[in-house]
Amino acid sequence: MRNPIGWAALTLFSLVFFLFIYAPLLVIIGYSFNSNPVNMMIWEHFTFDWYRGLLGLGSRAADANNRAAYIESTDQMLRALRTSLTVAVVTTTISTLIGTATAIALARYRFAAKGFYNGFLMLPMMMPDIVLGIGLLIFFVTIGMNLSMLTIIIGHCTFLISYVFIIVQARIAGLDPALEEASADLGASEWVTLHKVLLPQLAPGILGGALLAFVISMDDLVITYFVAGTDNTTLPVFIFGMVRRGVKPEINAIATMMIAASIVIAALGLWLRARKTE
Amino acid sequence: MALLEIRKARREFVTPEGGRFAALDGIDLDIGAHEFVTLLGPSGCGKTTLLRSISGFETLDGGAILLDGADLSTLPPFRRPVNTVFQSYALFSHMSVARNVGYALEVRGEDRASRERAVAEALEKVGLTGMGTRKPSQLSGGQRQRVALARAIIGKPRLLLLDEPLSALDRNLRQQMQIELKTLQNTLGIAFIFVTHDQEEALTMSDRIVVMRAGLIEQIGTPRQIYRHPKNRFVAEFIGETNLFALTIDRIESGQALARTVEGLELLLPAGTAKAGDKAVAVLRPADFTLADQGIAATVTKAVYLGADLHLFVQPAVGGPEIRVTARDSALAPKEGTKVHLAYDPAASHVLEAA
Amino acid sequence: MAIRRQTLVLATLLTPVTLFLGVFFLLPLLIIALFSFLTPGLYGGVEWAFYHWNYGRIFGWADDIIEVYEPIYLQILARSLGFAALTVLLCLLLCYPVAFWVSRLPNRWRMLFLFLITLPFFSSLIVRLYAWLLILKPSGILNTVLIGVGAISEPLEILYTPAAVVLGMVYVMVPFMFLPLYSAVDNLDRALIEASMDLGATRLQTFLKVVLPQTLPGILGGAVIVFIPSVGNFIVPDVLGGAKGLMIGNLVEQQFLSARNWPFGSALSMIVMAVVLAVLLGSTAAAKRKGGQNA
Repeated sequence: MRNPIGWAALTLFSLVFFLFIYAPLLVIIGYSFNSNPVNMMIWEHFTFDWYRGLLGLGSRAADANNRAAYIESTDQMLRALRTSLTVAVVTTTISTLIGTATAIALARYRFAAKGFYNGFLMLPMMMPDIVLGIGLLIFFVTIGMNLSMLTIIIGHCTFLISYVFIIVQARIAGLDPALEEASADLGASEWVTLHKVLLPQLAPGILGGALLAFVISMDDLVITYFVAGTDNTTLPVFIFGMVRRGVKPEINAIATMMIAASIVIAALGLWLRARKTE
Repeated sequence: MALLEIRKARREFVTPEGGRFAALDGIDLDIGAHEFVTLLGPSGCGKTTLLRSISGFETLDGGAILLDGADLSTLPPFRRPVNTVFQSYALFSHMSVARNVGYALEVRGEDRASRERAVAEALEKVGLTGMGTRKPSQLSGGQRQRVALARAIIGKPRLLLLDEPLSALDRNLRQQMQIELKTLQNTLGIAFIFVTHDQEEALTMSDRIVVMRAGLIEQIGTPRQIYRHPKNRFVAEFIGETNLFALTIDRIESGQALARTVEGLELLLPAGTAKAGDKAVAVLRPADFTLADQGIAATVTKAVYLGADLHLFVQPAVGGPEIRVTARDSALAPKEGTKVHLAYDPAASHVLEAA
Repeated sequence: MAIRRQTLVLATLLTPVTLFLGVFFLLPLLIIALFSFLTPGLYGGVEWAFYHWNYGRIFGWADDIIEVYEPIYLQILARSLGFAALTVLLCLLLCYPVAFWVSRLPNRWRMLFLFLITLPFFSSLIVRLYAWLLILKPSGILNTVLIGVGAISEPLEILYTPAAVVLGMVYVMVPFMFLPLYSAVDNLDRALIEASMDLGATRLQTFLKVVLPQTLPGILGGAVIVFIPSVGNFIVPDVLGGAKGLMIGNLVEQQFLSARNWPFGSALSMIVMAVVLAVLLGSTAAAKRKGGQNA
C-alpha cells in the first residue's frame, strides 16, 4: 500500500531536515578544535588549546599578553556559570514548590475561580519574554529595587511556575482520584493524604517539571538580559555579549561544552521518563 | 463465472523475532455476484488480511485476485469497485453525516444536486432519514454503524466488504443489524464479504461460510453444512458447542456402525464406508440428545439456567468426558445429581472425515 | 468542619501563586500600560504626566514639534508580523512531512528521532544561533564550500539580511512546531485514510479532505506557539539581522537600553502585547468553535 518512491522521497527530506538541525552544532564542535587564533574560519590543525585555556590549564598558543586576556575571560565565564547555576537551583526550587501546590489545588478542589486560574497560568508562558523583561525592569526600578541576582530569580520564577504547573497537572490528570479517597476513607486527614499518597504518586511529574524549569532557567537570555543589572551575568548573557562584541575562538569551546552538557541533561530526562513508565 | 476469484493468494509477514509467518497460505475462493459470504475464524487466521487484500490495503506476495476476470493487483484501493465497512467505522469526525455518506460521490466529482439525492436515498436505506446535518460524534454506536454502511454502499460497489462491523454493538442491536444487513444485501443485489470471529453471526446471515485457520481454508459450505457436517475437529469445535467422541468401530449392522469409546460408552453411527476396527471421531451437538427413559445412563453434574433452555453437564456412568446436553427448562427439569438417560437419533450424528 | 478545613488547605496551596504572579507578573504588565501614557524625561526616566504622543509617533497623530510621526515604526511592526508569519509557514512546511515520516517509523527508530528533535530544547538558544553566524559569514563555511566547488566566485551576502533572520527564527522555532504536529499526525486514525481511499479518493484528495482537516488542531497549536515568540523576538535579528532585518523587539530593546525613552518603549511593547492577545483570543475562539462542532 505504501508508495515506495514517495516513502524514499519522504525519508530523504526528513534526513535532510535532521541534518539542518544538527549540522550547525557539528560546525561549532569542529571549530572548537581549530588551532588558528587569528582567523578561526581557516582550519590550521587540531588542538585542545581553547579547552585548556578555559579550564585554566594554560595554552601553548597563547603568548604572555594573550594569556592575561584568556584568564580574564575565563574568570568571567566561570563567574557567569556560577551565577547561572545558583539562579537555576534557587529558581527551580521556588517554581517547583509553587507550581506543584497550584497544580494540586486546581486538580483536587472545586472553587469558583478555577477556570480563571487555569487560563491565567497560561499567560506567563505565552507572553513574549521581551514584554515580561521590560515590565519587570520598569517595576523593579520604580519600586527602587536594585537589579541583582534576586531580580533574576524573581524574573525566572514568573514564567517557570507555569511550566512546572503544566507538567505536574498532566501527571495528576493521569492519577486515580480513588487512591486519595481510599486514604481519606481509611482515616487520613487532608495533609496526611497529601504527603503520604498524592506527593509520592506525583514524584515523577514533579521531578520532570523541576528538570524542565532548571533547563529553561539555565538557558534564559531575554528576561535575564533586562533584569540582571551590570554585576551579575549569566552564561547565556555572557555568550550573547561575546557574540555581539565579535567572535573569539574560545567561544566555540564554551559552546561545545554547553552542547555536551545539554545532551547529558536530555539523556537524564529520557532516563527519568523511562524509569517512570517501568 | 464468479464475480470474485481468489487464486493461490499468499501473504507473508515478518514477525518481530525475524521469522516469517504466512497470514495467507495459498487461498482459493470463488464468490458469486449475489452471495453473502462470511470469513470465519479465530484472530490471526488471516481473514482480515484476505479482506484487506481484496480492498487493496495489502499486497499479495503470490497468487491473484480477479474481479469479473480482471486482475485487481495493479489497481490502488481508490480504483477498485469495492467498498469497505470498517470495524471502527472510520467516520470522518470533521464532516457531517451527509458529507460522510456522500464522500465517494464528492471525490468522484458528482454535482451537488445528484449527490444530495443519493445521500438522502442511502440514508433512507439504512433508516437514518433526516440525520444528515448531524456530526458523527452526536450519534449512538448503532447509528454510526449505519452511517458507515450508507457511506460504503452509495458508490454502488460490486462487492461490499465488512470487517467485523457489529463487534462494538451490544447483543440486541447486533441481532437486529444481522437481519437488516441480510435484507439490505438482498435489496442491493450485490455480494457481501463479511469477516467475523463470531460463529453465531456467521450462521445467521451467510449463504456460505469460509472457515479459516492459520492462513488456510478449513472448510467452505452453507451454514447447515458447516454446522451439521464439519470436516474436522477444528471446524466442529469452532462452530457451536459440540461433543466429540473418539471411537473404535465394533461392527457394522444394517447400515449402522456400532462404536465404542475407550471407557466403553457405546454409540450408534451411520456406517458410511467404515469397517470394523476403524478409528473414528463422532460429533453430536448438545441439542441432539434428549432425556429419555433409556439410553446412556448418566448423572447430571451441573445445570446452567439459560432462560428457555437448560444447559446440562452430564457424566456417563461408564466414565469418560462429560457430555453437554441442551434441554427445555420446565418444572420437571433435572437438577444437579439427578440420574438420567440420554437418547439420540443416530442419523443426527456425524463422523469427521479427518480427526 | 470538613468544609472549613478544605478551604484552609486550598487557601494555603493557592496563596503563593496568587501573590507571586499578582505582584511580579500582573503588576509589571500594568506598569507597562501606565508608562506608555507617561511623558519621557529629558535624560531618561519619566515625568508623571499624561502623554499620548508615544502612540502618536507610531500611529501618525504626532504634533511634529516635540514628537515626529515616522512611518518606519509601523513598517517595522508589519515586517515583524510578516517575518513571524513566514517563520510559521516555513516551520510548518518543514515539520509536516517529517512528523509524518517519524510517526510511520518502526518503534525503536521513532524513539531515536523523537529524542533527536527534543534535544535542541535542552541546548542553549544563543549557542545554536551563534552556529549560524559561523555558517553564514562571508568567510563562513557556506561561502567557503560554495566557492570551493565553484558554484559562486564572490561570497554571498546572506548574513545581516532579512533572509538570515527568518532562517535563524525557523531554526530555533522548529522543535516547537514539530511536537504539536507530531502528536496530531500520530493520533490520526489510519483507518480514516484507508476509508477515504476505499471510497475512491486519490492520495491527494485524501490528504486535502481528510488528513489536513483532521490534523488542523495540531497545525493551529503549532502555529500559535511559533508565532507568538517570533513576533517579539529581538535576539535573532540582533545576532543575524542588519538594519533591514530589524524587528519590533529590537526597537523596544533600544528604547530601554540605549535611547532610554521608557514610555515610548512601553508603547511599542503594548503593541506587541496586543498582537499576542489578539492571536491567543482568536485561536482559542477557533479551537472552541471546532470543539463545539465535534461535541
